[in-house]
Amino acid sequence: MTDAAVHAVNPGIGGEVRLSGRKICKSFGPAQVLFDVSIDLHAGEVHALLGENGAGKSTLVKILSGYHEPTEGELVLDGKSISFADSEAGEGHGVILIHQELNLAEQLTVEENIFLGREIKRGWFLDKTAMRAEAKKLLEQLQCDVDPRTRIRDLSVSDRQMVEIAKALSKKADILILDEPTAVLTGREVEILFDQIRRLREQGVAILYISHKLDEIKAIADRVTVLRDGRHIVTEPVVDLSKDDMARLMVGRDIKQMFPHRVSDTSAPIVLSVRDLSVPGQVRDASFDLHKGEVLGFAGIVGAGRTALMEAIIGLRERSSGTIERDGKPVRIASLQDAKNSGIAYLTKDRKGSGLLLNMDMRPNLTLLALEKFGNVIVDRKAEEAALEKAIEAFDIRAADRKAKVGDFSGGNQQKLLLAKVMETDPDIVIIDEPTRGIDIGTKSQIYHFIGGLTDRGKSVILLSSEMPEMLGLSDRIAVMAAGRITGILEGNDRNEHEIMRHATGISGQEGVSVHE
Amino acid sequence: MKTITKFLGAACVVGLGLASTLASTTALAQEKVKIGVSIPAATHGWAGGLNYHAEQAEKRLEATYPNLDIIVVTANGAGEQANDLEDLVSVQNIDALVVLPFESDPLTVPVQQVKEAGKFVTVVDRGLSLPGIEDVYVAGNNPELGRVSGEYIKDRLDGKGKIVVLRGIPTVVDEERVEGFMKEIEGSDIEVLDMKHANWNRDDGYEVMQDFLSRFPEIDAVWAQDDDIALGVIEAVKQADRTGEMFIVGGAGMKDIIKRVMDGDELTPIDVLYPPSMIATAMDITAMKFVSNAAVEGRYILGATVVTQENAENFYFPDSPF
Amino acid sequence: MSSLERREASASPRFSIDFKALGPFMALVVLFVLGTAINDAFLSGGNLSNIFTRAAFIGIIAVGATFVITAGGIDLSVGSMAAFISGAMIVVMNTLVETLGPGLETVLIGIVLSIILGIGAGAVNGLVSTKGKIEAFIVTLGTMGIYRSLVTYMADGGTLSLDFEVRGTYRPVYYGELLGIPVPVLVFLAVAVAGYVLLNMTPFGRKCFAIGSNEQVARYSAIHVDRVKTMTYVIQGLCVSIATIIYVPRLGSASSSTGVLWELEAIAAVIIGGTMLKGGYGRIWGTVVGAIMLTTIGNILNLTDAISNYLNGAVQGLIIIVAVFLQRGDWRRKKSK
Repeated sequence: MTDAAVHAVNPGIGGEVRLSGRKICKSFGPAQVLFDVSIDLHAGEVHALLGENGAGKSTLVKILSGYHEPTEGELVLDGKSISFADSEAGEGHGVILIHQELNLAEQLTVEENIFLGREIKRGWFLDKTAMRAEAKKLLEQLQCDVDPRTRIRDLSVSDRQMVEIAKALSKKADILILDEPTAVLTGREVEILFDQIRRLREQGVAILYISHKLDEIKAIADRVTVLRDGRHIVTEPVVDLSKDDMARLMVGRDIKQMFPHRVSDTSAPIVLSVRDLSVPGQVRDASFDLHKGEVLGFAGIVGAGRTALMEAIIGLRERSSGTIERDGKPVRIASLQDAKNSGIAYLTKDRKGSGLLLNMDMRPNLTLLALEKFGNVIVDRKAEEAALEKAIEAFDIRAADRKAKVGDFSGGNQQKLLLAKVMETDPDIVIIDEPTRGIDIGTKSQIYHFIGGLTDRGKSVILLSSEMPEMLGLSDRIAVMAAGRITGILEGNDRNEHEIMRHATGISGQEGVSVHE
Repeated sequence: MKTITKFLGAACVVGLGLASTLASTTALAQEKVKIGVSIPAATHGWAGGLNYHAEQAEKRLEATYPNLDIIVVTANGAGEQANDLEDLVSVQNIDALVVLPFESDPLTVPVQQVKEAGKFVTVVDRGLSLPGIEDVYVAGNNPELGRVSGEYIKDRLDGKGKIVVLRGIPTVVDEERVEGFMKEIEGSDIEVLDMKHANWNRDDGYEVMQDFLSRFPEIDAVWAQDDDIALGVIEAVKQADRTGEMFIVGGAGMKDIIKRVMDGDELTPIDVLYPPSMIATAMDITAMKFVSNAAVEGRYILGATVVTQENAENFYFPDSPF
Repeated sequence: MSSLERREASASPRFSIDFKALGPFMALVVLFVLGTAINDAFLSGGNLSNIFTRAAFIGIIAVGATFVITAGGIDLSVGSMAAFISGAMIVVMNTLVETLGPGLETVLIGIVLSIILGIGAGAVNGLVSTKGKIEAFIVTLGTMGIYRSLVTYMADGGTLSLDFEVRGTYRPVYYGELLGIPVPVLVFLAVAVAGYVLLNMTPFGRKCFAIGSNEQVARYSAIHVDRVKTMTYVIQGLCVSIATIIYVPRLGSASSSTGVLWELEAIAAVIIGGTMLKGGYGRIWGTVVGAIMLTTIGNILNLTDAISNYLNGAVQGLIIIVAVFLQRGDWRRKKSK
């Protein structure tokens, strides 16, 4: 659908203003994060909030929904000035926020989570039948076939996000705010979500949608507000801005070329060779070669087995068969230690859960994987600090306070730190899993250039990604996986979205249903 | 910044410590004589009586002799009592110690330390494991208690029968009693089916007796050694419905048992005295050292009188907690 | 973006008192002032010496516990372990008196036995909880029961006593002094320093922090999680041995009531000192101060008749709760973060 077509369907701009923020300022102690930001949310309209990480988007919406109080400025609900004591008060007034971080209780079931705190009761007791029926209805609306009796901890990340959305939908919002809801969703699920959003828009709900995926904003939003460094930059109808415009407004400068210019050498020697590797239930007979200095992309839909394959290669997961050769010689990799000794490093896709120690500062995080470099008996603090300074410079990690806890960093800085940590071991091969999930455009470009720098220096990279532009922009060859098998390795002109989707779904001729057009 | 404050903190503490050590070494001449009294907490009836008599004696002595300051501390175990002894010497600066050790072995060295610090030491009831430490020793007559109990059982059973024995907390007291008892029944046909520690307490007495009752189909008599134990034994025997089969000999003179003896209870025909007021005896004797010119060092062994239905009246004190 | 992040990163106010770091020390100073106010003999050399010596037992065990807790585990068996080891030591030393006499050799063999048993017991706890994949709480609850019943069995329900002549040889380990400082205090100091170095300055210590902070991250950072965790239990066992070696000559006895509730006191000392129960953050010097604080509280309560001795436990419990509450630091911040 073209941009114009989208808006012909829904000239939502013009419904009355439901919720406004007027000249909102917010400070945490001496640090001010929002400066006189004003925003209007109209009924029956999707208003996008765009900005880099750290621009203040999450803070603004937390104020709008009652989690924080503004330091200055006021909120106006349906024409009357209002102040929310807490998020419950916000929800009481019909302002519902779907968080970026999933707020689900792992040990409870889907239906229990959906009605958490608002359980349907029959007299003194819980009315479980009613809740189950209602939960089923909500999930069906989202075309999500998860059984409401499943425990959250047994669900995939994208299913969990759907449950969050179902939870929000059940609260009957007048004003619905979504904070980066598609970060973990597949293309199909994104479409389903957009259908729901359109449905709510037709019902007159005022919707605020935070994202930095420009394609999505073009597809679903009517109006867009750009924030940068805590300040309001513009508010315009989406039709009036191109993606380049939006990118430039977000960053405040022209983004130089997004992807590094790379020269691939197809005759380079093979540094890694994997044959017939299987992981029961996840991967079947995977075989591929990796050349020196190349970026080998791995594409596939969520659940295709890419991460499982990589974890098996580095010894984090048991495999039932398969051989690995490094520089032509067979190696035995049974633990992460072995992989490290073999010169292979792995950058996990879960930077907060498996990558970094959030309650510690940068230095111990940086050196954790390469501790032996810093002393065998006593850890050499000075050497660590020197390494940290080098890493901060090399990877452009923006942190004025060296002692700040990593958990307080923005996603982009965390990812760069994680990359630095992995590079401390000076590997020859780096396996990078979803490097730019939840990261703004400026940092994305930086990371792409780092990867380019790696291959320039003769390292080899395996890249796992669900973002097409990233995959296509960086990879020399692209291996595609489906249901645990490698269905094809694409080179040259075969490296395009159509071919990838064809191999990823195993069905020939099916058009990709992604919004990335 | 962190390390500096750590150092400051440590320096403060050390400084204070040093300063006060200097101050306290110049102890002023005491006008008052301080007597520390360290006894077990009231974990069983006898100890309850002990605490009662100690407090009575404290009030009485302090009223009679204004220059006496008596400090009574109680402990729940050997380790705690060792701590108490240290504190009495270091903090309270006592001149004399009256101590009833929780257990003989572990408290021997701590009491020795008090003696070596130059204090006058009186040991009550449970002796130490090494001789020659204390200045005064006050105790009931444990061997005699064992002997007369053994004598009574021997006579009553005509020198032939099966009995069980319940012992107290493993101390010199318990050993002396058992030794006296065993010597007395030597050569007769009294068979001791088993001996177990009931630690002078009702619950343990109950459990140990239950155990005996299930193991031994025939029991002619029980030597419970102590009235607290005897109460537990009585309950167990009643519960097993074997009251007609045997009789029980306790000890120490608890008012409940004395009453039974007075009333001619078949189950408890006699009692043997072992008065908890011996702590008052010890405190008085120790006080004498400081308020008079009497010679007090030595061993004081109190009598172990047999209480029968005839003389029970004389030994019945309904107001005492014991 | 850059300037905003800079501001976000240095959000903590400049003149805050860092309760987390200084709290335990300040509390200890307050306690000392309180003690002196109640009875000026509190600060006498003799009394202070008593306090620090008594703190040494719990303190040494608590240093070991700091490692275990920092790495995310817990060990409830330490009190029973101490009882069992002291019982075994006494039994063996008593047996050896006949053959080797009551001299130095007997005592040394007893000491070596203690170390072997402590390391072994620690290894058992560690291996069963890591390889056996059973929660440390459960495993150490089990071993706690096992050791206590073993010592009760060895003592036949009563008390085990060390031969008096051996006690004479062994005495200086508890009652002796070096440069005016009691031996137990010196050992406590040595253990604390060694613990500090090991936890804060070596790769092993760094790994303990990492595992306690996020076990998954540690695994993904090529750390042998099971091995490191087991090692922390072995260190704990070794600390229990050392504490027992010093403890035995004090009373020369072991019974089923020895070491009861020591595990809770050790854990309390660790927590009061600032180490977090959930792991990932450990402070050896805080533990030391915590142990001294607990002993001081007991001592102060003995000085005054105002509160009955029996309420010792209640006061200690109250102080623990208050200490942890103050430590959290976020009682200063309101709901907005």
